[in-house]
Amino acid sequence: MTELRFEDLDVDGAFGEAVAELHGTSRAQLLRGAVVGSGALLGLLSLPSIAAAQTPSTDQAIMNYALLLEELQSAFYTDVDRNKVLTGALKEQATTVATHERAHVTALRKALGSKAIKRPHFDFGSAVEGPTAFRRTAVAFEDLAVEAYKGQAPKVKSRAVLASLLAIHSVEARHAAWIRRLAGKLPAASAFDDPRSAKSTLKLVADTKFVMTTKSTGSSPRFTG
Amino acid sequence: MTDHICVALDEGGAITRGALMRRTAIGAGALVGAGVAIWGLPELSVSAEPSASQDAKILNFALTVERLQAAFYAEAARRAKLSGDLAQYVQVVGGHEREHAAFIEKALGSKAAKAPTFDFGDSTSNADIVARTARSLEDLTVSAYNGQGPNLTPATLAAAGKIVSVEARHAAWIRDILGILPAPEASDKAVTAAQATAAVQRTGFIK
Repeated sequence: MTELRFEDLDVDGAFGEAVAELHGTSRAQLLRGAVVGSGALLGLLSLPSIAAAQTPSTDQAIMNYALLLEELQSAFYTDVDRNKVLTGALKEQATTVATHERAHVTALRKALGSKAIKRPHFDFGSAVEGPTAFRRTAVAFEDLAVEAYKGQAPKVKSRAVLASLLAIHSVEARHAAWIRRLAGKLPAASAFDDPRSAKSTLKLVADTKFVMTTKSTGSSPRFTG
Repeated sequence: MTDHICVALDEGGAITRGALMRRTAIGAGALVGAGVAIWGLPELSVSAEPSASQDAKILNFALTVERLQAAFYAEAARRAKLSGDLAQYVQVVGGHEREHAAFIEKALGSKAAKAPTFDFGDSTSNADIVARTARSLEDLTVSAYNGQGPNLTPATLAAAGKIVSVEARHAAWIRDILGILPAPEASDKAVTAAQATAAVQRTGFIK
């Protein structure tokens, strides 16, 4: 197993910025001694210094975390749309949701101003090259987004920011129900949706390997629902 | 004949008749992004800072909405001759609303209000009106929860958060059954407690 450094994986620094901000530490601290294996950022996130650090503490950190997830979704739908591999109801879903996710990105960037993380780069591989893989990945992403927003909402200090994030949160749930129906799953599988911590969410995101890397580990995206 | 019910619910605030149309509604004015706010925000309906007593008031409002929905779906399942997608929707969602009501009732304990009596009139009489009323109810519920979220203490918000996204899933589900966009806009509007209450009152569902 070739060991990769975090810097090699996170070429544009966006991931590091978001993770560092969430955990109340600096990107430089993250990079020092951060050696990760084929598990990509998983290793990084489980480093004791990170695990011991606090979870998202400021509204700005939470908004940057939301921005990272929206950038991911926005790029995903935009890529599949560009590839023109979808038809009918699935195409309508992807096109509509792409517009929403881009709007979320724009709104968050505007609110964060110069404090916004850099735009990351993604490579979704086969997940955006056909309807079946797209559908599975979209279900996973949308359900994850709902859990992620839900995990942060009680920590938001500004009521204005909270109102805005809640307005996005329920739209992500609509997206999730919509794509689940198109995937032949129950749109609302249970009476209660659970929250997910930032740490757990970022682990899942890292595990997809959709975040573009300079050195390929040779494996294809695994997170397809 | 009973379409005035849907109109009454939708007039609860943000949900316009236009939003019913199958289209993507992201107008130039949808995203404002002024200052720290992410976009043009709904006014906070309760001016006081979050507190336990305010939580109880808001939870009782939510309990009324959940009981109303649970009763609506139960009656629709008995009365309207439903089949296929809509029958499944009513059965599954009805179960969720009962669970929500029980959850909130338990959270409130002795502070829980007495259950009201409902009269849904013709709104549970056939598949078409059931679907359209459900759509209005679900969209209104999402807007009402979103409106009250910032007024709750963090612990209660965490509990309510487990419900609101499921209501949004219901809304998307019934909208898709009706052939209208499940997610019509990039952000869900919020209505104030007063707007939501007025909308429900106008339906005459609560006796």
